[in-house]
Amino acid sequence: MSFLVLNNIKKSFGQTQVVKDFDMSIEKGEFVSFLGPSGCGKTTVLRMIAGFETPSDGTISISGKDQNRLKTNQRNIGMVFQAYALFPNMTVADNVAFGLKVAGKPKAEIDTRVKEMLKLISLEHLAERYPYQMSGGQQQRVALARALAPKPQVLLLDEPLSALDAKIRVSLREEIRQIQRQLGITTVFVTHDQEEALSISDRIVVMNAGRADQIGTPFEIYNRPATRFVASFVGTLNIIEATVVDPAANTVRMGDNVVTLRDSIGAMKSGDKVSVALRPEAGSMSDTAKGDTTITGAVISSHFLGSVIRTKIDIGGNPVSFDTFNAPDVVQPQPGETLSLRFMASDLLLVRD
Amino acid sequence: MKTSKILAWASLAVGLIYFFVPLIGTLEFSLRMRRGAYSLDAYSTVFSDIQFRSTFGFSMLMALFTIIFGMLLVVPTAYWVRLRLPQMRPVVEFITLLPLVIPAIVIVFGYLRLYNSSSFIPFTGSTQGTNVLLVLSYMTLSLPYMYRSVDTAMRAIDVRTLTEAAEILGAKWPTILFRCIFPNVMSGVLSGAFITFAIVMGEFTMAALLNRPAFGPYLQLIGANRAYEPAALAVIAFAITWLSMGLLQLVSRFSKTAPLRP
Repeated sequence: MSFLVLNNIKKSFGQTQVVKDFDMSIEKGEFVSFLGPSGCGKTTVLRMIAGFETPSDGTISISGKDQNRLKTNQRNIGMVFQAYALFPNMTVADNVAFGLKVAGKPKAEIDTRVKEMLKLISLEHLAERYPYQMSGGQQQRVALARALAPKPQVLLLDEPLSALDAKIRVSLREEIRQIQRQLGITTVFVTHDQEEALSISDRIVVMNAGRADQIGTPFEIYNRPATRFVASFVGTLNIIEATVVDPAANTVRMGDNVVTLRDSIGAMKSGDKVSVALRPEAGSMSDTAKGDTTITGAVISSHFLGSVIRTKIDIGGNPVSFDTFNAPDVVQPQPGETLSLRFMASDLLLVRD
Repeated sequence: MKTSKILAWASLAVGLIYFFVPLIGTLEFSLRMRRGAYSLDAYSTVFSDIQFRSTFGFSMLMALFTIIFGMLLVVPTAYWVRLRLPQMRPVVEFITLLPLVIPAIVIVFGYLRLYNSSSFIPFTGSTQGTNVLLVLSYMTLSLPYMYRSVDTAMRAIDVRTLTEAAEILGAKWPTILFRCIFPNVMSGVLSGAFITFAIVMGEFTMAALLNRPAFGPYLQLIGANRAYEPAALAVIAFAITWLSMGLLQLVSRFSKTAPLRP
């Protein structure tokens, strides 16, 4: 049986339904990210797990125990907020000790645990500092230690890296993942940053308009997006509008090119419109490149980006971008030039709307 | 020097003269009780007057009660409005501003009509009852300042997130309020307290019409019957106000909160 189970969760604010039929099972020790744009309902789901919001319908259970009737302070959940939320009147040590003091733990146990937590985040030397005397990254590490100190059964991270600068964000996300692995704590992480989600998650839930569009490993989400939304939100996928030519042979037309798909379109009729996705890194200009499919189009633009050259070609009115690694002998395509793009048919993914 | 700079300095000098000359005049006059020499006789007369001590003590006590009960009303209200009823904020702000636009005399006549000895709540029927009514009326008068100072302090600390952070760590309401919120809005609470103290110490209308022996009516009484003592009392009243303002500045300087990050 799964550890954290969200069963048919719905949430409405007035007439607006922000979470619709959300189902999810999370295993013990798993790191799951909720990924989606602002307003997709990811934070609302997290807040329902925390108990800050009550589901309009559905149940949330942790380790088989129904959480709906429990108040936030009875759930034994740790949470890290985007705005750090450290208590400004308390030192770092007092902040970390807060949850333990509230739980009525003996002083000796509190002191040991606080030291342990500060060692975990490598901030033992700042125990007596106040939050306003620390950088954003340090404050967020203290917030993480504070959330972990009472040994919660689940850790919730609500966009904890959003307020930090890029460099700190990368190092802190690695630190969070390493600590999570070390403690084996079940973690739910909310983010709108796909790179963050892809780099640290065991599984990702891509949310769109209150629903989970796709749940899968980072590899599955990136390489096999289930919907057009997932394909466009995760990475910089090309979406090509194609027309079915022969459903039995799985062939579609993209401009002047007819290609064969690996995904079955047998249920469709000739002339139906389908959306096909292709990753920018999947195609190559080289005739000797690995591939069984070639499409031809006119170059719209080509930009030298240092390590890669990003070229955009027109395929039946669809702009299709692809990247070529920089090399001394590479020739940058010029706008108006006709170009052939070679790739594996298996790289073309049929996506539903 | 540019003409605009000269004009700026000139207008500042006019402002300072307008403000300080009467004060210096009052101070100087308060020191001239003894003929031909400066002395503190007026102050010594005032301090030795038993009525001064009793009215000053009474007003201090009233100010203390006003601050305690005012804060017990304002802090949870401001907290609750920020946390659970943000849509009610304009309404609460409007209500708290009313004492600034309704004259004190109108408010006190309203009180006398509603709470006289033959009403359902006969506050004025006894001395203690009238004292309670006086504290309540002072609370009303200080509401605009108290609410604003507390509300501003709460805005600076993001009350909602702090409450949620404490709640998820297992804290219950009393712990959240007294260990996480109250200490962080203490600068606002104390600012409101000092302003309230200054208002109550000089207030005349409410105390006079409720017939209570407060410092305001005493100032008026002395002003009508003596020469040098009213000037000494005016200087004392100014000193109290400035002391309150100084403490207010001191408190905000020692606040442990830093400005919020963007």
